[in-house]
Amino acid sequence: MIKARIVDIKRMAIHDGDGIRTTVFFKGCSLKCVWCHNPESIGFKTQLSYIKKKCIGCGECVKVCESGAHIIENGNHVFHREKCTGCGKCEEVCLGEALKLYGKEMAVSELMPILLEDKDFYENSGGGVTLSGGECLMQADFCTELLKELKNNQIHTAVDTCGFVSREAIDKVMPYTDIFLYDVKAFDETVHIKCTGQSNKIILENLRYIDRCGKKIEIRIPYVPDYNSVEIEEIARFLSGLKNVTKVKVLPYHNYAGSKYEALGMENTLPEKIPDKEVIDKVEKLMRVVGL
Amino acid sequence: MKLGAFETNRKELEKQFEQINWIVQDGVDETALITAYEKLLQDMAGKPKALIKAKTFELILTKAPIAIDKKDIFQDKLLGAKIMQKQRADWEKEVQDTYLQEEYKEQSEAWNEFGAYQGISDFGHTSPNSRLLLYVGITGIIERVEKAASREKLTDNQRVFYESCRIVWSAMQVFIVRLADAIEPYNLKNSRALRNIAAGAPGNIYEAMQLLIVYFFLHEYIAGTRVRTLGRLDVLLYPFYKEDIKSGTFTHEEVKEMLRYFLHKFWTAKVDYDLPFALGGIDADGNEVTNDMSYLIVETYNELNIHSPKIHIRVSDKTPKDFQKMVLRCIRGGNSSFVFVNDDIGIKTLMRVGIEEKDARDYVPIGCYEPAVWGVEVGCTGNGGVNLTKAVELVVTNGIDLRTGKSVGIETGKIESYEAFVEAVKKQISYMTERAMDYIRKIEGYYKEINPDPILSSMYDHSVEEGVDVYEGGAKYNNSSLYFYSIASLVDSMAAVKRLVFDGKMLSFEELCQIIKNNWKDQEKLRLIARKLPEKYGNNNELADELAKDISEFIAELNLNHPNGRGGVFKPALFSIDFCFFAGKRTMATPDGRLAGEPLSKNLCASTAMDRNGITALINSVTKMDHSKFPTGSVLDIVLHPSAVSGEDGLEAFYGIIRTYFNRGGFAMHGNVFDASTLKKAQENPEQYTNLQVRVCGWNAYFVNLSKEEQDAFIAQAENAV
Repeated sequence: MIKARIVDIKRMAIHDGDGIRTTVFFKGCSLKCVWCHNPESIGFKTQLSYIKKKCIGCGECVKVCESGAHIIENGNHVFHREKCTGCGKCEEVCLGEALKLYGKEMAVSELMPILLEDKDFYENSGGGVTLSGGECLMQADFCTELLKELKNNQIHTAVDTCGFVSREAIDKVMPYTDIFLYDVKAFDETVHIKCTGQSNKIILENLRYIDRCGKKIEIRIPYVPDYNSVEIEEIARFLSGLKNVTKVKVLPYHNYAGSKYEALGMENTLPEKIPDKEVIDKVEKLMRVVGL
Repeated sequence: MKLGAFETNRKELEKQFEQINWIVQDGVDETALITAYEKLLQDMAGKPKALIKAKTFELILTKAPIAIDKKDIFQDKLLGAKIMQKQRADWEKEVQDTYLQEEYKEQSEAWNEFGAYQGISDFGHTSPNSRLLLYVGITGIIERVEKAASREKLTDNQRVFYESCRIVWSAMQVFIVRLADAIEPYNLKNSRALRNIAAGAPGNIYEAMQLLIVYFFLHEYIAGTRVRTLGRLDVLLYPFYKEDIKSGTFTHEEVKEMLRYFLHKFWTAKVDYDLPFALGGIDADGNEVTNDMSYLIVETYNELNIHSPKIHIRVSDKTPKDFQKMVLRCIRGGNSSFVFVNDDIGIKTLMRVGIEEKDARDYVPIGCYEPAVWGVEVGCTGNGGVNLTKAVELVVTNGIDLRTGKSVGIETGKIESYEAFVEAVKKQISYMTERAMDYIRKIEGYYKEINPDPILSSMYDHSVEEGVDVYEGGAKYNNSSLYFYSIASLVDSMAAVKRLVFDGKMLSFEELCQIIKNNWKDQEKLRLIARKLPEKYGNNNELADELAKDISEFIAELNLNHPNGRGGVFKPALFSIDFCFFAGKRTMATPDGRLAGEPLSKNLCASTAMDRNGITALINSVTKMDHSKFPTGSVLDIVLHPSAVSGEDGLEAFYGIIRTYFNRGGFAMHGNVFDASTLKKAQENPEQYTNLQVRVCGWNAYFVNLSKEEQDAFIAQAENAV
């Protein structure tokens, strides 16, 4: 039975497609956007998050840790990340709820009961289940199985993708996907590389392909001042050439995720500048003007 | 009608209950009034209480000074002192001292000292037939009384009953004419309207509103019993509205202007716990009632930016979605004084206590969220309650209140197994419930001596036909209630005992008892383990939810449909209102990791911040219980973060939450939309947040006016919000 690494399952999600949804966040991403506000989903390996200020120093983690990653030094808890194997035993016993493991391995059969719990909420609000990440399509076989099972249960499905994935992966999930939530971050290749570390050629091609296949697409544009802000008009022009875009959402960048980088022991790459509300209003207006 | 006058005068109208603008007219001063009342008592010594009460009411309405307010378009002021409130309190004390001294002492100690249980008399939680008042008027009510009184072979009791009914309504006519005379030089239209409602049924919507106001303020402030609902306001006013628009008597804008004065009056009066009325839902024939008035009332109310009166939105499967979304928009905008109520369950639950379907369909939520039939049932939905979590303390202490060392429960002995523990908890709940019910039944036998109510009785068809006061069992349905508090705290505690002691074998039951008696002193680690256990109500957890279901069924067995003392039955409720704070202070530490004195769980909510899996999981848990077994109501409060309900999508999601709750059999829901950071800022800088309102329980309050403890509870709930 194949399993996927799951970062988190968010119930009552309402910004990941229409209605009330449950969003499954997959671990591992094909891009590395400087503004990423889900750093726990970037790497493919299991990661332990440690929020120092929540630690009450009870030492329970030390007792269960087999690799010596948790130790008490001078009465204080010290976490040696390099020794952590990601077994997750410490999370279970952590009394201060300071430790959290991202990337539990889960099978479709383990996910489905959780996703079915809120089925009537989906039905009453026009919602469903969204696969997100990270980049969920990096685990496309698993996604296909999961989506199939969701469709067997008459649940609306959305796939949230950055688009930097193989055509094959898209083809696999397409028959069981009701809507793609598709990120467009830049039109100019150089800008895209600067923002995400990768070229956007495949991304734009894949987007055109999905559009040609007649699938519904909701476009999501993170708006990050000084990074992709200059790109907006180009993006709008490009999008206006697509036929099956049902909605365009401009997501104003926020920098709340700093503490997550710290808890994961990752380098914080977050830009400082956040957009003004007026600017966002203007961008949204622009999208409407070009008919989006 | 001069449009725009309300806005011009609003500031002054805000102070309309502070005497500033009053023009006081005729009448005797307070000392003279009290002397006259004392003489009346002497003259009528030995006469039936109903008659004394009616005569007292007449004395005040005919002799006390009245006041008018030129800025207002409705008149209502009577400077009657609090004679009748005192009269009722005196009569209740007389009954207690004479017949129920020991019993009364037990009840007040059990609640005020131990926070365990309490049975009390209840004269405020009723649903007067305001429809009858508007459609036949005072004269119509008197005619009906006369007609019933004219039949042959009346008993003495019946004669007294009819006589007292006649006296109170005739006195109201006199009072209204006094107001009409006084306002005539300043506002001829108002004066004419008053004369019309003294002499017949209201002829238009302006007169209808004026009559509702006069009736309400006389009954609530002079006659001394609360009016805990004005009924279904859209149903009441719509026929007048339709006719007035059609005939050209008033324009839509003029009606809206009147509504501003009307609604604003209850706001400025600061009616205790806020005055409710209902909108929407089906009528006796099963047709949806939502009409143009429903929309206009919500629109006007929201524009006024007030939070009293409070509004219950009855929702049937036919209630227009756009109407519901209009209300959700108000809540999202910060006006949280709306409660959504599910018709399916409201009707089903009343039918469980033998109420006919056509009657049940015409229910109104009384007070906070308690369904009772409008003008047909005397619901008495505030007879006290039982603190469920206290049962755990009483098992631990073998029947002793830990704080005071006094005996309160029964001895349930040594606990050897989990099953024995559950059994003992149930025995304690059963004991407390029986004690409270026993007192309620006893005091109900004396209602006639404490609070005969000719005003209310004349508005109940059955009471008038039979010639029996509503508090003597004269209504068609004469029911009583008991609230059951803090189900989540109880369930979490029971689950913790199972996990820590009997399944997990981390310690013995005796050891756990000792630890919680010591308020978890030096046991912080164990306390955190207890708090971290996944078996918490509100997370769709099987063990916790099964326990909640089991306990709720058990409560229903103890209370639902058991006879009361007035020829009706008991209707249990599953909510706490703000008693979770009061009782929490008097409840020792609990096995779920709660410390002594901390608040208990509120209404149907999870214990503070213990609903870790969001609102959908919480709703999954809550709706596993059968809400229809709680005919005095149940309510779930939810807190949503503003971002969760922003935009059209967010509104749709909000609607989806309520729809799903109702489809799953939930009865009532109210929502607050705010984020924790705003609340924290308000706690630190209250002067900058004087307008921030939150829904406490069944009523609203300004956040900055709450105690630190209550504020903290709100912040914890908001931090846990999606």
